[in-house]
Amino acid sequence: MIRTLLVFLLLVRCAFADTYHFTEIRYSDATELSTQLEGEIDFHEHGLDIKYPKSARELKYKNNTLVYLEENKEIALEEVQASQIMQYFDVLILLHNGDESELQEIFEIHNSAEKTLLKPKGTLKYYIDTIELFQEQKRLKRVKLFLKNNDEISIDIDDEIR
Amino acid sequence: MMKYANYIILFFLLSVGILLKDHIHISTNLLSLFATKESIEKFNIANNLGYSKEMLVVVKGFDKDSKKKVRELRKKLQTLPYVKFIYSSVVPSAQIQEYYQHSYPLIALFDDTNMSREDLHAQLQKLYDAQATNVFYSSINKNDPLALFELQKRKQSSLSHKGDLLTLGEYGYLIRVTTDVSASQMKEAKELYTDLKAILVEYDDVLAFAPFFYTVENSSKIQADVQWIVALSSLVLLLLYYLLIKNIKLLWHTLFALSSSMLFASLLCTLFFENFHLLSLAFGMSLTAVSIDYLLHYHFHHFYQSRKRIDKNVLLGYLTTLVAFALFSFIPIPLIAQISFFALLSLSCAFFLFTFIFPKLDIKKYEHSTQRSYRKERKKVPAFVFSLFSLVLLVYSALHFKLDTNLRNLDYYNVNLQDTEKLLKEHSSSKLSAVIVDAKTKDELLSNLHQVDEFSAESFSFATFVLDQESCLKKKNQLQRYDFKNLGTMVNEEADKIGFKQGYFKDAYHFATPLPECEIPDLKIFESFGLFLYHDAQNYYTIAFVNEVQKLKELPFVKSIDLKESFDRSTQEMYDHLVFFGSLVLLFIFIMLFLSVRGRIFYALNYILFPLALTLAILVSLDSVNIMHLFSLIILVAIGIDYGIYMSNSQKPSNTILAVKYSLLSTFAAFGVLIFSTIVALNSIGIVITLGCGAIFILIKVMR
Repeated sequence: MIRTLLVFLLLVRCAFADTYHFTEIRYSDATELSTQLEGEIDFHEHGLDIKYPKSARELKYKNNTLVYLEENKEIALEEVQASQIMQYFDVLILLHNGDESELQEIFEIHNSAEKTLLKPKGTLKYYIDTIELFQEQKRLKRVKLFLKNNDEISIDIDDEIR
Repeated sequence: MMKYANYIILFFLLSVGILLKDHIHISTNLLSLFATKESIEKFNIANNLGYSKEMLVVVKGFDKDSKKKVRELRKKLQTLPYVKFIYSSVVPSAQIQEYYQHSYPLIALFDDTNMSREDLHAQLQKLYDAQATNVFYSSINKNDPLALFELQKRKQSSLSHKGDLLTLGEYGYLIRVTTDVSASQMKEAKELYTDLKAILVEYDDVLAFAPFFYTVENSSKIQADVQWIVALSSLVLLLLYYLLIKNIKLLWHTLFALSSSMLFASLLCTLFFENFHLLSLAFGMSLTAVSIDYLLHYHFHHFYQSRKRIDKNVLLGYLTTLVAFALFSFIPIPLIAQISFFALLSLSCAFFLFTFIFPKLDIKKYEHSTQRSYRKERKKVPAFVFSLFSLVLLVYSALHFKLDTNLRNLDYYNVNLQDTEKLLKEHSSSKLSAVIVDAKTKDELLSNLHQVDEFSAESFSFATFVLDQESCLKKKNQLQRYDFKNLGTMVNEEADKIGFKQGYFKDAYHFATPLPECEIPDLKIFESFGLFLYHDAQNYYTIAFVNEVQKLKELPFVKSIDLKESFDRSTQEMYDHLVFFGSLVLLFIFIMLFLSVRGRIFYALNYILFPLALTLAILVSLDSVNIMHLFSLIILVAIGIDYGIYMSNSQKPSNTILAVKYSLLSTFAAFGVLIFSTIVALNSIGIVITLGCGAIFILIKVMR
């Protein structure tokens, strides 16, 4: 199983190599509505940047510091909100890095033919119920997060920006 | 039979030493030598509260490699012996989360303003809209959608962090390791230190520091240093004794007598003192070598061939020294008390052996090998000139006197460790200091901690998490008066109107009724945050981290455990004790001199005043004066008195001068080598005694 995971993680790394277009669909259990957002995600050495070009909004996460920009103007976020976003980004970075030992430390991993299921073990389990990773032609195509409050976040990786 | 008495005594003492070897304990913890009883008690309480048992591991930088190192190190550190907790994240432990959940309405801040239906509607609408318009995900708290409750984040945020991970300011990530090892536990400290170093050797840019590192690193340096100094001193003395005495039999017996004296004092001191220190032993042994002046005086004045039972000058010298050390042994500073007690015993043993045993050994009469020429008396400087000059030097010293109160400066100068400690302090954004807070009961302790919390702008203690009984009951009363039932109904009605999922808020504010009891939780759950509870028969104790230590001193239940402050105070106390006992000794010496030399009192007094004044003047010109300098100056006085009496009362000046000169050489060989020590305490003694010997030598040469 570990071998399968290793091969998979290697692919995840390749899939998350640079900058990507993505489509994010968020389901809110409170409103029973889904929201779709399109953006670009860039994984770099010290964190990640997410841009939503249509709404001219940007989130920069570098060395555990989060900056939120609206039309290039920095907007302060509440500490609780910033902490939630950073936790979410940490999960994305973790999946991108594909560090086997770190993932095994934080998640229980269940593999099947079409998807990999990650069940949080530590404090993440208070917020996240499950994470599903889908692959298509040996490439990671979708990450789905099922949250404890029944909200869902699905990220479809569209293409790699060269 | 008496011919063999010297051997029999040494053999007897050696046998006693072998028999008692399991009861002999020698300490190497240098700081314990200077701490007063009160501060030792305070540090014992602090030790029980985990203070100074914490180890900090810092990983430089905040990139993903640093994060990886933190993760790996956490895992590896967990496998080390004596490690209790590893704490590298601000995320509370599962037990604390459970406590938060259970006591949430009581410990969270509560906004009790009554909200109108319109305001409530507007707030829910904002939440609803944010779900569709926010570019980042934000969850809705279905139990408290109006965010009336808020966990107090202010104080916990005083722990510097990036994301969830603890940081050391802007330097890097921080791992706090709570261990079972205090600075005085040598065996455990060595074991943990060795295992830790084996882990850290694989990592670049990782620093570690704990107070017990000093114990491990310095103690091995001190041991090596003392061994080297003792070996060097012994070799120099052996060579010197042979050259001076030129009588193998006498040399042999002298070495036996000195060994017996050292052994006698060592045995009694290690049995008498609970923590007799290696430094006291080394210093005491060197001091024993000073007793050779009794032998030299006897030998050069042919005492062993005369039928006299006692030499008045040697007896006076011995008694004066004895009383001086007896007075010093009452000083409540362990190092000084230990050395004085050792000197008292070893000098007494040496005096007994040289005076009563040596006459029975058939020692050959000393013959002058050559006729020495001495400077003509009229060419010498009168005694009063030296007295005046000494007074000028003393006034100069008093004007330039600066006391070094940092006791750490006396220890081995561990540059690497001091640099690491400095770096950690400089980068730490939190400037909180630890204080001990005590009370008769747990509840009183919490109440005291909340008072500390009010006094200090920033603080971190049990009060950050737990309410005291009075505040808890007040909070409970406030919550019970609030109409949560009506609020819940309004929330559900307005949420339906806005379009939220049916019944999404059905449990809103149920957590606030019924309320949990006002009980003190098991405080052990906060140990992972470095917060401990300790109680003895009378009191409960804990540590609070605060930023207003000076202000808090007004509170009777707060005790500072700031090391620097404690050192400053104990050094000042030592200084006061030394001045008091030093004055007593000087007064006693003055009386003794008056009784023994009468008309030549200034001449004899110069043997004390001049070395004291010259050495002190040089010391204050070079740097600040430490407590060991002061103590050595008093030793110098005790040595000078012997020479003063011998020189003033001498019937055969040439023989006396020779005895004093040789004795000076031997003192210099015993103490002078301490100059080569890297331990400042020993080095200070070496400097003072060397300068003092030089001053006495000048007096012999040029004073009349």
